Amino acid sequence: MNHPTQSNQSAEHLDPNHLTPETLNAFIDGELPPSQRQRIEQHLATCHVCTLRVLSAMQLKAATARAGHRFAPPSEALARLTAQLRSQSQSQTNQQPQSRLQPQPQLQPKPTARIHAIRRPAYLHPAAWTALAAAILLAVSLLTWRQLHQTNSLAAELLDQHLATLSSAATPQVISTDRHTVKPWFQGRLPFSFNLPDATALPPDTTLKGADLTYLNNQPAALLLFTIHKHEVSIFLTQRSTSPTLTTLPATRAGFTLHTATTPDLRIIAVSDVNPADLDNLVASLVQAQKPI
Amino acid sequence: MFNVQQLPVYTVSLLPSNLSHTEALRIMPSAIDPSAAFEQSATFEQLALPLFASLYNHAHWLTRNQSEAEDLVQETFTKALRAFDSFQPGTNFKAWIFRILRNTFLTTRAGIAAARTVFLEDQPDTLDNTASGPTPEDILLRLDNQAALHTALEQLQPQLREALLLCDVEEIKYKDIALILDVPIGTVMSRISRARRTLRQLLQPQLGESL
Repeated sequence: MNHPTQSNQSAEHLDPNHLTPETLNAFIDGELPPSQRQRIEQHLATCHVCTLRVLSAMQLKAATARAGHRFAPPSEALARLTAQLRSQSQSQTNQQPQSRLQPQPQLQPKPTARIHAIRRPAYLHPAAWTALAAAILLAVSLLTWRQLHQTNSLAAELLDQHLATLSSAATPQVISTDRHTVKPWFQGRLPFSFNLPDATALPPDTTLKGADLTYLNNQPAALLLFTIHKHEVSIFLTQRSTSPTLTTLPATRAGFTLHTATTPDLRIIAVSDVNPADLDNLVASLVQAQKPI
Repeated sequence: MFNVQQLPVYTVSLLPSNLSHTEALRIMPSAIDPSAAFEQSATFEQLALPLFASLYNHAHWLTRNQSEAEDLVQETFTKALRAFDSFQPGTNFKAWIFRILRNTFLTTRAGIAAARTVFLEDQPDTLDNTASGPTPEDILLRLDNQAALHTALEQLQPQLREALLLCDVEEIKYKDIALILDVPIGTVMSRISRARRTLRQLLQPQLGESL
């Protein structure tokens, strides 16, 4: 890893444009107004030291987010909770006829409202429907939560791995711009194979830099590293049949574009800060390369 | 950078002692139509249940115990449903219910002890000494070691960890974290800053080993 020398470092710190720790935190937490954000982005374009600090801070943030998602509730806890909520909302609602009807002298104020509710179908009817609706709602929200949770952690994992490739210390396991070197390197390392487009079939100003073997969602994956107009792009290729059903990933995370495509055998996920249209072109060329000639 | 004056203010304090007050208010609007109450509790579940896992995770970090975490979440839901009338639509529901979670936690024995620690350690001078910490620019931490990060998070002071988790895991905005923790936004920023600095320090030996 490249360590700036001590004297360099202290000289850099005298520059008033450098990010203070507070500003850096607010920047990566998305707490700054657009104007200030833009100023910082301009500064980052020319300042290597601050860019590294931002990168490092974003990595720590992403890692904290993953490590912090640590405790999953016991499987039956949600059922216990909803049962409790049901009975609570039932008893809360059943108090209402009582409070509404109390001023009317012809109705006896006791026994309690719960008994009124049971004896009078008018109250039971909406209750039954609402209970049914609530049960469906619960199932749906539980499902969405599961999916959301899963996709969020996958998105975090993808971004984390992409950020790791950006660090100057990270050299790919195979460094080559030649598809005939990169593809065979994966032989025996992956339980599947894939095709790489010819250099001429890639979109303009797009270069293959190298590749890594990685793991995504506990699946072996090929990580292909490209550059588009000097923007780094990570492409993850996983086997489609073995990956669990992925729900749609968010289109962006922390300012990076996530783009997913599938072929009959592969799932392709691209992560980059390049403009989405260029990323689409690269993904399309990869999808095209998988088609039998 | 931050305009403290413009922060939204929740009208009803959700300290547990005030809940009976809000409960008394609740009956007035819903007494008009019984089905309104059903709708309301359906709305509540629609908003609250998707947050169950997040609340449980956070509760576990607060209580450091599985069954206490579950109890805490249950009690939070009970109180939140009872006080749901005081929730203003359009404001941040997640912040609202996390605030109830935290206030409920503060009434537990562990919470009372934690609150005492916060009071002693949360001095406002911490904003100024941020520059003196180790500068992160010369290190890119190796964060692939999940176990090391778990240990580091466990070693963080609880009030620093709490602020950091609300920010990084729950992705709640500073102004809402300030409401949840009932501290000024500057304190939120300094806690997050200190938490990250401490995490770096704790993870640094890891760096030596892994590179």
